[in-house]
Amino acid sequence: MISIPVKLKKPADIEAFAHSLKNPEHTPARIVRVCIGTGCAAKGSRKLYELFLEAAKEHGENIRIEAKCVGCHGFCERGPIVVIEPGEIFYQQVEEPDVAEIFRETVLGGKILDRLLYEDAGTEKKARTEMEIPFYKVQHRIVLAGNGRIDPTKITDYIAEGGYSAIAKVLSSMTPEEVIKEIEVAGLRGRGGGGFPTARKWRSCREADGLPKYVICNGDEGDPGAFMDRSIMEGNPHSVIEGMLIGAYAIGSEHGYMYVRNEYPLAIEHLKTAISQAREMGLLGQNILNSSFSFDIRINRGGGAFVCGESTALMASLEGCTGEPRAKYVHTVESGLRGKPTNLNNVETWANVPQIINRGGKWFAGIGTEKSKGTKVFSLVGKVLNTGLVEVPMGLTLRRIIDEIGGGMRDGKRFKAVQTGGPSGGCIPSENLDTRVDFEELTQLGSMMGSGGMIVMDEDTCMVRVARYFTEFLQKESCGKCTPCREGISQMLYILDRITDAEGQVGDIERLEELAELLEGTALCALGKTAANPVISTIRYFRDEYDAHIRDRRCPAKECRGLFRYEIDEEACKACGICLKNCPVNAITGEKKVPHVIDQDKCTLCGMCWEKCPFTAVLKI
Amino acid sequence: MPLHCRLKNIKKGKPVPTVTIDGRKVRVKKDATVLDAANKADIWIPTLCYHPALSPDAACRLCMVELDRGEWRQLITACNYPVRKDIVVYVSSERAKMARRGVMELLLARAPESEELKALAARIGVKETRYPTVTESQRNCILCGLCVKVCEEIIGQSAIGFTGRGVERTVAAPFRQPSEDCIGCGACVAVCPVGTIKMRIHKSEQEVEISPFKSRVKLLVCEECGEPVVSMQVNERVLGMVKGNIEDFLKHWRLCPKCRRSRTAARFQEVTGCEKD
Repeated sequence: MISIPVKLKKPADIEAFAHSLKNPEHTPARIVRVCIGTGCAAKGSRKLYELFLEAAKEHGENIRIEAKCVGCHGFCERGPIVVIEPGEIFYQQVEEPDVAEIFRETVLGGKILDRLLYEDAGTEKKARTEMEIPFYKVQHRIVLAGNGRIDPTKITDYIAEGGYSAIAKVLSSMTPEEVIKEIEVAGLRGRGGGGFPTARKWRSCREADGLPKYVICNGDEGDPGAFMDRSIMEGNPHSVIEGMLIGAYAIGSEHGYMYVRNEYPLAIEHLKTAISQAREMGLLGQNILNSSFSFDIRINRGGGAFVCGESTALMASLEGCTGEPRAKYVHTVESGLRGKPTNLNNVETWANVPQIINRGGKWFAGIGTEKSKGTKVFSLVGKVLNTGLVEVPMGLTLRRIIDEIGGGMRDGKRFKAVQTGGPSGGCIPSENLDTRVDFEELTQLGSMMGSGGMIVMDEDTCMVRVARYFTEFLQKESCGKCTPCREGISQMLYILDRITDAEGQVGDIERLEELAELLEGTALCALGKTAANPVISTIRYFRDEYDAHIRDRRCPAKECRGLFRYEIDEEACKACGICLKNCPVNAITGEKKVPHVIDQDKCTLCGMCWEKCPFTAVLKI
Repeated sequence: MPLHCRLKNIKKGKPVPTVTIDGRKVRVKKDATVLDAANKADIWIPTLCYHPALSPDAACRLCMVELDRGEWRQLITACNYPVRKDIVVYVSSERAKMARRGVMELLLARAPESEELKALAARIGVKETRYPTVTESQRNCILCGLCVKVCEEIIGQSAIGFTGRGVERTVAAPFRQPSEDCIGCGACVAVCPVGTIKMRIHKSEQEVEISPFKSRVKLLVCEECGEPVVSMQVNERVLGMVKGNIEDFLKHWRLCPKCRRSRTAARFQEVTGCEKD
């Protein structure tokens, strides 16, 4: 680990320091970059890193080799990922036994190991570098640009890549109003879900009466299947800190908070390290870079309540109160944390800021659609071939994200819907796949941008169950303060349970719609107001599935027990007797060479025969 | 933080905004609530979790009214929406009425046995609820939070609070045990809008119990007739608040109001020599 040699005293010091870091004398000839994002770490990449480190140490003098841990590359599906410089050779699904060979052949010998390269499923072409992989080709990485390149535990890495040059520029040549103007020109909108214009929020907070003013980074990401913010905090924590510095300067704040959920231990660890390094170098604290601007950041860990991602609940939690939302009739930019003007932005929003300052608002506004500028990070999960973290320019169609980046559907199944926006979002069906990813367009479809979860579902997914899943999630996560959310979601869940348990009643859809309307109009916070979106959007696009459950007592996706039956395909059955032996209620009869039969009266629909049949002769009908 | 404190930070604007409620115009002080304006205009808005002595929380969502935003209308809670400029609201619009009725139906499913709630429901046109009622253990408390607030903000004891989250939310004393902080004042009983919190006098033990929290406090008993007067702790606290020379008063403080009156009358007679009528 490189010790931090300097305390930066003026804005120009940053550039000089970055320059000195790039001196060829200091930079190693070969670098092995091992991803230690949570996904890869779960597959044992920490150990890989240690092995590479050891190998580099043992090798010694002639060539300087550095093993480096880096943040999430995004292609979590193919982890652990190891990239070798020079050449940016991209190895995927690396395991411990591969380390010695990679070191010998690639790092020292410069030879490429074909078997560790990514192979395109369609063309069978091997990709040597990231940019040859379709998963990366369509992406446009601004926020994630540093992920996979820099060591998140070293401030020097960030500075060498041009980090903290934006705050230097701001402090040396821009007034707070000019900073806000630049963000306004960029057209940056809140990435946490609401899409509120960031510049307008900053300006309101700047103009609000009352001191001190606070800036908050919302890192309480809680949507099921979403991990965008975690990866940014883990992989490039300094970009968030720099963004907050710039925001605080523009707003006139000296106090910053990062609210990160405690379930993100690596993110917290990296942020802590980053903050203390920034402090040591004089980038946080009193009179930053000898200017009159002072700012420091404190990390607060969230206790795991989903509702604490809502700004007022988050602030209540920061105050030490129960994390419950309060009315926002008076905006938090006027009266937020401790009743003082408070500006809260999401992790991704903050991480965009340094880039905008460095490259100009016009550049940023050149990316995206008319009203949604820049890029958006999504966590692409579900039944696609390539899951992972992707960053795409606004305006890309859902189809391109799923087909080109995601590589299409898994196991040759048919696409059914994509769920965006987390529990507050909705399901978008195949006929709307050409929709462009944009705040307004997704909202129009009854879904929303949200913080960036994107769950792809295939024909085997029952949409009523999807709605039920999200409703149950929200019922559990409702704080219980206001009546409609606490009681209404429970009543919706009660009806959805009834439908998926083959007890749906005529009129249930209308009852759900009525409750949804009530929630939307009367709930206290956004969690409650949008809680019905999963139900409403599935009713809107998949009403026939609801009808099939209620009227025909049939689950078209064959997921709801009791709404389909098992039968044995006479022709496929080899009369092996496995199902017969495994049936716990002896509902299957048959002899050798005689296709077996399920007695529907005895069958309890446990699915054991379906699981055990080696010839897939048991069918769901 | 209570709303009135939060509002301190807000910029001064036009001093006396006009609120038009269902066509009726009233002028209120800046940062008064829509409910204040409605009261002034003599228009009734049903409330449950609102109490003039306590900071508004807008938790029950029964006081929904419609706010005219020009191009669209938004449902807002009257009890905590601050009036900061001229606004137009509708209390009796169809959407506002439906919203209030919808909330009431959900509340009725929670407290189906409360006569108070049934009466309020009938007043806003809800005869019964279509929803299944909640389990017995949670029944009859609508979680408005008035009891918790009054205990904290007015009495200063915080003997009860919310426990659990979401559907598990209940009002209870810590660990659901009788609270040692409860002074048996009965403020929670007085504010409970659905009559679920009750005060029980256990005469033989000379104790008052606040139900359902099971907290018990010793009662001051009239030294003459033996009737319970007030909880010992409330009595002590009140005495502590009295300033000046109260020696004379202290002679009478262990009497119930009735006995005190008769003793005063007797003394009056003694001093003046007048006979009782």
